[in-house]
Amino acid sequence: MSPLTQAPHGFLSPTGVEIAFLLVGLVTFGAALVTVTTRQLVHAALWLVVALGGLAVEYLLLTAEFIAWVQVLIYVGSVVVLLLFGLMLTKAPIGRSPDADSGNRWVALAVAVVAAAALVWVVVDAFRTTWIDLDGAAAGSTKVTGASLFQNWVLPFEALSVLLLAALVGAIVLSRKAKAESAPPPVNGRAVTGSSPSVTGSGIHPIEQGGEHGSKLVSTRGSEQGSEQEGAR
Amino acid sequence: MNDALDVALRLLVVFVVFLTFPLIVGQTEHKVMAHMQGRLGPMYAGGFHGWAQLIADGVKFAQKEDVVPAGADRRVFQLAPAVALLPYLLVLLAIPIGPGEGAVGQVLDAGVFFVLAVMGVGVLGSLMAGWASANKFSLLGGLRTAAQLLAYELPMLLTAASVAMAAGTVSLPGIVASFHWWWLPWQITGGLVFFTAGLAELQRPPFDMPVADSEIIFGAYTEYTGLRFALFLLAEYAGIVVLCGLTTVLFLGGWHGPWGADGLGWLWTLLKTALLAFVVIWLRVTYPRLREDQLQKFSWTLLVPLSLAQIALTGIVKVVIS
Amino acid sequence: MAPIPGSGLAKGLAVTLRTMTRKSVTEQYPDALPDLPPRTRGVIGLFEENCTVCMLCARECPDWCIYIDSHKETVPPAAPGGRERSRNVLDRFAIDFSLCMYCGICIEVCPFDALFWSPEFEYAETDIRELTHERDKLREWMWTVPAPPALDPGAEEPKEIVAARKTAEKLAAAQAEPATDRPEPGEGEA
Repeated sequence: MSPLTQAPHGFLSPTGVEIAFLLVGLVTFGAALVTVTTRQLVHAALWLVVALGGLAVEYLLLTAEFIAWVQVLIYVGSVVVLLLFGLMLTKAPIGRSPDADSGNRWVALAVAVVAAAALVWVVVDAFRTTWIDLDGAAAGSTKVTGASLFQNWVLPFEALSVLLLAALVGAIVLSRKAKAESAPPPVNGRAVTGSSPSVTGSGIHPIEQGGEHGSKLVSTRGSEQGSEQEGAR
Repeated sequence: MNDALDVALRLLVVFVVFLTFPLIVGQTEHKVMAHMQGRLGPMYAGGFHGWAQLIADGVKFAQKEDVVPAGADRRVFQLAPAVALLPYLLVLLAIPIGPGEGAVGQVLDAGVFFVLAVMGVGVLGSLMAGWASANKFSLLGGLRTAAQLLAYELPMLLTAASVAMAAGTVSLPGIVASFHWWWLPWQITGGLVFFTAGLAELQRPPFDMPVADSEIIFGAYTEYTGLRFALFLLAEYAGIVVLCGLTTVLFLGGWHGPWGADGLGWLWTLLKTALLAFVVIWLRVTYPRLREDQLQKFSWTLLVPLSLAQIALTGIVKVVIS
Repeated sequence: MAPIPGSGLAKGLAVTLRTMTRKSVTEQYPDALPDLPPRTRGVIGLFEENCTVCMLCARECPDWCIYIDSHKETVPPAAPGGRERSRNVLDRFAIDFSLCMYCGICIEVCPFDALFWSPEFEYAETDIRELTHERDKLREWMWTVPAPPALDPGAEEPKEIVAARKTAEKLAAAQAEPATDRPEPGEGEA
């Protein structure tokens, strides 16, 4: 992210990339809005794909290629798939779900607006007049990202990995305890029915969600599902 | 203008490859599978040994009625084949078949990540199809697809990371460029794990539980007819091409060959890819389908540890030789 | 068995690969006529000169798919002053191949060798009534009946040949000793 080199970066004569950035941003924003407002659970997950994909395109436009592909790989490829997996396990209906609404939606809106405002403020404050030189060497290439990650940001990186490890261990502990309680495994216990269709409240984080599902399902349906959940994780 | 022409030409070539190679693989599968079972396979369409069988199939599919079940989620149902197919087209764009700028659709800095990310997106198509069909067998197929993807994405990523570590780059042409023959024994475990996991991700036999026809009819594709069904099939065969090309590029040294013919590098790539495609067909004919839980166990107790061991080995050797 | 892990998998791969290199067994029927084994049960031919309208075949048929009509004719005596003889004349002989189950009992029971198996099988029709083959059609099938295949080496000699040979040997023996035993002319016809 090279600092301001030449003066005339006017808002009145935007380049093609800037226009594209704005348009993709609008699409992403719209998709995100639909994600939280739609009454159809699976549609929400699919709109989330659009939003996350739009975000990846924005990264690409900012020359952060590595981040963009990791975004697609982790969020679209794994998190949304896990989300859909969970939705299908709970037999998400086709069409509107009458109970897909939260009573504290205004609180949620307020939190969202505040969080967005804080983020925008921080970002604007940090990169006030920074322009990315699109024609030069990519500022977000894998090499650059790797170097900055392991030279300047090693400690946060390692802290994050410890957090993930803790979550992993927690998930294993949860699933093992559930296994010991349940009876010997039934052979063909793969029913899709049962369970209430409102597990969407679970977080987006894959490990948390997996653990939650695992314990829930095992307690209701025997350890066959539990082992599958373990496998899916 | 010249740049635009260049881009258009590259896109055209990739598109043609995308349309023809899967058909070639499909036809080869028809014939190889038939002969492995003591049959002849298609003999009529096109005259000579039924070479045009898949074209005839395509014409047949195009004529069929496009049915959307009454209870289905119409738009998701109709969108699913495109979501399943397009990622493979994009992946094909990034696979280099020869040295130099001219032999790859688009050089990408983080090619390995791009390829794996986009291949993972393709599975969304199956999930959408499985959910939107309003059919319990489709739903089961979708569930199995998801479980399988989650189990097999990890070993694929880990082994690809192993190669990237060995090469010191995540760009696909860069990886092939730094390939030496002794990488073959060094990365052989990773290569096998990658290929097996890729088979599972493509839902090819013996890992085809998501479409297991004797259990759940045709999994997520049960309700599809006509052209949309054909698109799903095309996605499967395009997936074979992509997987074999990727394995070639990552583990078999792409355009490197024992008799280093510089101009004929692309021939080596194609040859290796074709050989791997044959192996895919061979495995399909030989082995019966695993059970869903066996598949999960196979991944988590064998493939993941193996790929982790491969990464450790790569790291050790890398440190020793540098 | 060497318990090398994966040896079974390799064996499976070897089997399919070996099969691929072998000739396939597919019969390309409409393009190439099949090579049928001898005594193939394709269709039944009638050699009506041998038929005496004894009705055994029609009675033994489990499906009752053989239709026979006949009448009696009187034949003038062979020698003057003799008795008139009556003779069965065949009017209709038909086999309904839509009922026939190709058991071959009619052919087995025919005492006069009037029915034969023919290997022809391409007589599918679009109308089920066409499958009732009348005597002229059955006669045409007769000309497609192949010669009986040679006996297996070491097989038992056919009974009629055994009988004929024994008779011939007896005759020869009788002629060799004409003094002791008078030859009996009726013996050869027994």
